[in-house]
Amino acid sequence: MRRQHWRLYALGGGLGHLTRASALARAAVARGHAVELLTNSPFAPGLPLESLLGPGAVVHRLDARLDKPATVAAVTAWLTATPCDVLVVDTFPRGLAGELAALLPTVRAPRVLVHRDLNPVYVERFDVARAVDAFDLLVVPGEDAPFAHHPRAVRTAPWLLLDADALQPREEARRRLGLSASASRPLVAVLGCGRPEEVVEAGDTASQLRRSLDGRAEVRWLVPTGAETAGALAVWPALAVLPGVDVLVGSGGYNTVQEARATGTPLAAWARSRLYDRQALRLTGSERVVDAVDLEARVQALLEEAGAPERPASYVNGVHAAVEAIERVALSA
Amino acid sequence: MRPSFPSAEHCLETSGFLFSHPCERAAATQCMRCQKPVCALHMRMLDGEETVCVSCARTADNGDENRDASSSDYDEDDPSYYYDDYGYYGRGAWTTAGGSHDKNDFTEADGESLRREDDASFEEDLGGS
Repeated sequence: MRRQHWRLYALGGGLGHLTRASALARAAVARGHAVELLTNSPFAPGLPLESLLGPGAVVHRLDARLDKPATVAAVTAWLTATPCDVLVVDTFPRGLAGELAALLPTVRAPRVLVHRDLNPVYVERFDVARAVDAFDLLVVPGEDAPFAHHPRAVRTAPWLLLDADALQPREEARRRLGLSASASRPLVAVLGCGRPEEVVEAGDTASQLRRSLDGRAEVRWLVPTGAETAGALAVWPALAVLPGVDVLVGSGGYNTVQEARATGTPLAAWARSRLYDRQALRLTGSERVVDAVDLEARVQALLEEAGAPERPASYVNGVHAAVEAIERVALSA
Repeated sequence: MRPSFPSAEHCLETSGFLFSHPCERAAATQCMRCQKPVCALHMRMLDGEETVCVSCARTADNGDENRDASSSDYDEDDPSYYYDDYGYYGRGAWTTAGGSHDKNDFTEADGESLRREDDASFEEDLGGS
């Protein structure tokens, strides 16, 4: 197949948009394509994205502190710089700042929307249905979404940054998480991600759990590479070490939830408030906790169940089906 | 006998998860079963070939129209195929009678996650996603 030039728009706070787009970029690069990825994640400057994505990828990191006019100007310059074979937009058909509504008609390449759930108030108020119609393909990555039944929509299994064979074996993962080979206690990992202040809050949660578990389990506070701080362990992508985690504590973001489900890692998570994402709808009753007391009780219960965890040997990574669907759209242009 | 609808430019389905209200988007097509005008958001495809409104799709999902329960257990076109118990989108979510409570129903604890639904920060707060 001819080498294609993909452009991936992955603007949005936190790590979620960047991680999902990175999964797509990594799979596209593995198929021989050239990928340009645009992000304004506050975590992007510290992450070794280029080495994870491969030599076919170029990452453009916008400063997360840019105001709206500066961000729009940067997106405009990026989009109009050189032609591409396909433009892929994560989550926001109108763009994070609404800028794509005016810019998309100037893009000659086929357009693909990565379509996940969106706040219905936003969908109604900003006529997102009209914006969605400007796309040649909607790829729905494993969760239902407002326009999942659009005639040009295709569904895939959830997208993951790593395939199952790229995860570390359990013992290796436990070593990476700071446990010696002789350590036998189960491990609870508290994932610090989302907003920068939530990364810090995860540290408080880890401390509280450490006290309440009173030595019955090891507790680690994980933060993304580049967000290192005292008491935290920088691990990215955390998916790589989940085989060594007995209970994962985090929030209801797309990647945390999908990674836990795919790897069979017991999850205790709370629904964080987000402008567009509805984490309460993503989490099941058995995954969701409502307060600190609930969290401690749930972690205790999960640890008691975790004696001989049955983990799936592998999982379907929907990103590969997505790459094939996008390739077809790019070829048809 | 199929109901008939007067020529309408607007979708005649209702919208809203918590508070139902008329959709009022521009109609994109007509339901092939009841002829109701519907917008793209309220259009569903049955078996990849029949375009129907949400109401008729729910009726079909109840099992009364060419539905094979055993085969539908493995229907990859079902949005809940990958998650049998995925929140309110889960399999059977449309067919549950209103009187019972699902374990994934909204609780007070969900209020924090949804409190910003009326937020005016859409497309302004670039870190709020």
